[in-house]
Amino acid sequence: MLRFLVRRTLGALVILLIVSMITYALFFAIPADPARLYCGKVCTPENLALIKHDMGFDHAWPVQYWNWLSTIFTGGTFNGVHCGAPCFGYSFDKKELVGGILLDRFPTTLSLTVGSAVVFLVIGIGTGMLAAHKQGKAADKIASSFSLLASSMQIYVAGPLALWALCYSTDLLELPTYVPFTQDPLGWAGGLLVPWIVLSLIWTANYTRMTRSSMVEQLSEDYVRTARAKGMSGTSVFMRYAWRGAMGTIVTVFGIDLGVLLGGAIITETTFSLHGLGELAIHSFRDSDLSLLVGVTVVAATLIVFFNIVVDAAYALIDPRIRLA
Amino acid sequence: MSSRKTRLAAAILVAGALTVTTACSSGHSNGDGASASKAPVKTTAISVGTAEDSKGPAAQEPNAKKGGTVNMIDRDDFSHLDPGQIYLNYNSEVSLLFTRQLTGYKTMPDGSQKLVGDLATDTGTTTDGGKTWKFTLKDGVKWQDGTPITSADVKYSIERLYATFIKSGPTYIQSWLSGADYRTAYEGPYNGKQLDAVQTPDDKTVVIAFQDIHPDANFTLAMTGYGVVPQAHDTKEEYDKKPFSSGPYQITEHVTDRSLDLERNPNWDPATDPIRNAYPDKWHMTFGVQLQQSTERFMADNGEDKTAFTFHNTVDPKYIDEVKGNDKYKSRTLEGLTPYVDYYYINNDRIKDKRVREALIRAFPHKQTRQLQGGTSYGDYATSYMSPTVLGYESYDAYGILKKPEGDPEAAKKLLTEANALGTTIVYPYNNTPIQQKVTEAIRDALEKAGFKFVPKPLDAKTYYDTVALLDNGADLYWGGWGADWPTGYTSLQQVWDGRVIADGGQNLAHVNNPEINSAIDAAAKIADPVAQGKAWAAIDKQLQDNAYSIPDVYQRSLSLYGSGLGGVKFDSLAGLQSPLNIYVK
Repeated sequence: MLRFLVRRTLGALVILLIVSMITYALFFAIPADPARLYCGKVCTPENLALIKHDMGFDHAWPVQYWNWLSTIFTGGTFNGVHCGAPCFGYSFDKKELVGGILLDRFPTTLSLTVGSAVVFLVIGIGTGMLAAHKQGKAADKIASSFSLLASSMQIYVAGPLALWALCYSTDLLELPTYVPFTQDPLGWAGGLLVPWIVLSLIWTANYTRMTRSSMVEQLSEDYVRTARAKGMSGTSVFMRYAWRGAMGTIVTVFGIDLGVLLGGAIITETTFSLHGLGELAIHSFRDSDLSLLVGVTVVAATLIVFFNIVVDAAYALIDPRIRLA
Repeated sequence: MSSRKTRLAAAILVAGALTVTTACSSGHSNGDGASASKAPVKTTAISVGTAEDSKGPAAQEPNAKKGGTVNMIDRDDFSHLDPGQIYLNYNSEVSLLFTRQLTGYKTMPDGSQKLVGDLATDTGTTTDGGKTWKFTLKDGVKWQDGTPITSADVKYSIERLYATFIKSGPTYIQSWLSGADYRTAYEGPYNGKQLDAVQTPDDKTVVIAFQDIHPDANFTLAMTGYGVVPQAHDTKEEYDKKPFSSGPYQITEHVTDRSLDLERNPNWDPATDPIRNAYPDKWHMTFGVQLQQSTERFMADNGEDKTAFTFHNTVDPKYIDEVKGNDKYKSRTLEGLTPYVDYYYINNDRIKDKRVREALIRAFPHKQTRQLQGGTSYGDYATSYMSPTVLGYESYDAYGILKKPEGDPEAAKKLLTEANALGTTIVYPYNNTPIQQKVTEAIRDALEKAGFKFVPKPLDAKTYYDTVALLDNGADLYWGGWGADWPTGYTSLQQVWDGRVIADGGQNLAHVNNPEINSAIDAAAKIADPVAQGKAWAAIDKQLQDNAYSIPDVYQRSLSLYGSGLGGVKFDSLAGLQSPLNIYVK
């Protein structure tokens, strides 16, 4: 296991290096001039040159990339602000260090993701198991229909509708906002309730369908039939064998989903005016804020790669038939 | 005539001349061109106030109350709060709450606006036609820590604009004092050096000596980019995040992209301020609210949104008809003409025949393109390059745009035939957005009917301006806009039509270089009398139109909502935004 983790971590570092390099290359492939965005309405050539110099845009992109990479290990000073190693650069648009901005935004995305994940996992897996257990009966049909309907919904439709129904016109729930958990746990939950509800509505459907189909598949396996033939009760077979067998698929998909969600729930955060990594990604692209764009991209890639490793490790622990190669 | 007398006479004349309603376009006819042309729209009345006008307190709003919190919701955080870095109207408008300048504008009860002394006792005096300006500071003006604002503070605030970290604000005053390459003439105050062109004979007097005549410099100094910054609290680059207050509010917390909170500055004295009422106790501003969300929240008018306001988020285009058609929103709707004019620039380097350019103007489908962008709420049909919000504006429709806003393909075809130019290719780069794709199709249809060959070139929105602002842009016709930095013709026309500022990345996007117009610009800029100067700029505007250099399209409008719990919400036509200065919580 240790060898596996070391090997995968080294592989992940190479992937992140490639991702950051590609982000740099793509950024410079667009013929826009970010320095112009920071210049005034009547932008003098002198001001433009000063801005380009301050931002480091007066070098070729490979040199800029190298400077960015070395700054991670050596630190640097930007716009009068010192950035100690590990330093991920400076956002000239926000006038803050990239590392600080990312740390500031991450808890919002984490809270949004973890809260909704708890809800959609519990309800999704529960409903999926129920549907599998009551295969072909009314409960199964209702769960399947609901899952089909909910999985067709998109956040940009469900989000504004929920906001209108629950917040704007009725005042039933408070407007989405992020309050740190450590500061006010109730305020934290209350402020994220509407996004959790909407995200759960959409994601629950996937987990219901997935759990149901995995369970049904497991229930038709030979070893389940054998267990039944040996006189094991239906509930025991369902919970001890079929459930454990289905877990592998669910953990795999959940691990990847969690990585994607944490990497930046772009539409969700924009819909609910939440200031997480997703919203930051949109802003950094819109404002041609290269340091921030690379920072968000690398964080998102790190989370996805990390959860892939976790999933692989967890898979081996859950299913003894799987061995880490 | 001394400048004081000139200004007094001018104030009377300007007030008289500009409050006359001017027949231009629009109205509220749901995009109907014929009826729109009959609807008169008031131009903004602008005048120069006297020392009496410059005295505080500001005129009270009827039934206004002090106290409460105004909640502002907007999409974006302010990109700059350091006055030296402020240029965009959005940043300027909020800075009025915590930064004061030598001069400023007060909104009169009839909606007109008057240039008055803000920190200064009046709008300044000049005895040499505008080369040297003298301002005297009011008694009782203070920083948020209670120390008096002195002439040394004003001098220092101008000096620091030369520092290399100041890159985004206006550069007019610096260039006028020290030349276009002003940073080589003076390095800024941080190594102890001073700028001799600004003198402070005593604590109350500031004398600014320009290299040339600038009769409207008192308008320039009203830009919030020339607000005051105290030397003792100048944190240089960091000042942009938390400035020190000279206005009625001070910043208590600013979390980038998330929120900005302000509370009263106890050392601001309303008796010194003719511009700001400052009724609310606090302002709580939140960012990240998209157009659709803010419109829906204003429409629902629920809870804390009853006391919500927005600087910049206009009504989402999909709700415009509902907002304008439903009486329940009427009392909370604010619509006004902004200083921004949309042009379709003709590349005069490529289309040299005036008849071909005129054919483009006559063929252009203003009615269709405006309707696609929001109809009457998007703006009024423009016939000039100067906006009606600019002092001296005169209505002049050289090519019958108001009569046929849908375009006149027959007249255009006739002109093309005369010029032996039927089938002339028009390369048209455009922002590749869903709305602009439709607008482009409308333009294609109209120009092809007139006998042009139309070649659209989609561009990414991020690269659009960079591309069309190149001298060798390979294009014939392209959209662009311009808004005056202060309401005189200088800033409305000089940057866009002066042939000597043509450069890659410059603002003269039509590449017009007419020596007669260049000379006329120089001459108009030196006229001391505001009314005579306004007439000179209007004449240049007509000259530009007669030469058919480009297509004026729309004088932009703004349509926005606010909560029912607020009163005194007014539109600042000089910025094109809702003003925070007279708002109160009911």
